[in-house]
Amino acid sequence: MKYGRRYFEDVEVGDEITPLVKGPLQQIQLTRYAGASGDFNPIHQDDEFARAAGMGGVFGHGMLTMGFVGQAVTDWAGAGRVWKFGVRFTALSRLKDTITCKGRVISKSSKDDVHLVEVEVWAENQKGEKLVTGKATVALPSRG
Amino acid sequence: MTIQINKSIVGKEYPPYPVTVERGKIKEFARALGDLNPFYLDDEIGRASEWGDLIAPPTFAVTFRDERADSAAMLRDLGTDISRILHGEQEFELYGQIQPGHTYLCRAKILDIYEKDGRSGPMAFVVRETAITDAANEIVARMRHITVVRL
Repeated sequence: MKYGRRYFEDVEVGDEITPLVKGPLQQIQLTRYAGASGDFNPIHQDDEFARAAGMGGVFGHGMLTMGFVGQAVTDWAGAGRVWKFGVRFTALSRLKDTITCKGRVISKSSKDDVHLVEVEVWAENQKGEKLVTGKATVALPSRG
Repeated sequence: MTIQINKSIVGKEYPPYPVTVERGKIKEFARALGDLNPFYLDDEIGRASEWGDLIAPPTFAVTFRDERADSAAMLRDLGTDISRILHGEQEFELYGQIQPGHTYLCRAKILDIYEKDGRSGPMAFVVRETAITDAANEIVARMRHITVVRL
């Protein structure tokens, strides 16, 4: 199923998306994400800077965690299906964290041949703390 | 010691800036996430797909930056610095695919600034929206970014 096509008719409210496990988070991944995204805030690279800023050390880019959640959604729904994707950042990711991205279908609707599925999504660390919470809306193909 | 930020920038529109998407940038971004989806990475699969080329992951538009209009410019306008900010919320609305070789125009605007007391003291929330249009001036994506400033 991974990278396959998921049809609107095959999804039910309450379905869980396949959890995606990322990490343990390493400094090199934060450095790589800085390069790829253009976010070079030293708070994600330089432990001394992060401590001086009162953050207790380096932490991961929120957008990296959001990107992980995005992958969980597209691994499940298919690439190119996301219409809307929004999150709140509720806790910081830290080095060595294992981040698990999860989601659950909360609604389905069809209008004018567009078939939308709304998924509640979140990412949690190994302690079960939520790092991001939000919603993604995907448009799925129909068998009809 | 708390700081004051310049709230008069609500409504400010930053100079529009063009971004031409490079094939390698999409692949670099996907790999940095550890996302090996072939629709982002495999040119052959992209060509054979319904989109005719590679597409970008849903959060790729965060790479669309310009020194006159990005968060560094916004921080200068607010009168604060990078060590005080956190990312509060982020939202994408995607109306089409972002694809290699295309040039997009980005228009960023400050929608709102409000203050609240958080767990670690007073904070300001700065809401910025970037609208992304294609060469035909059709909207392709919109991103809304809430930056938290620890005052």
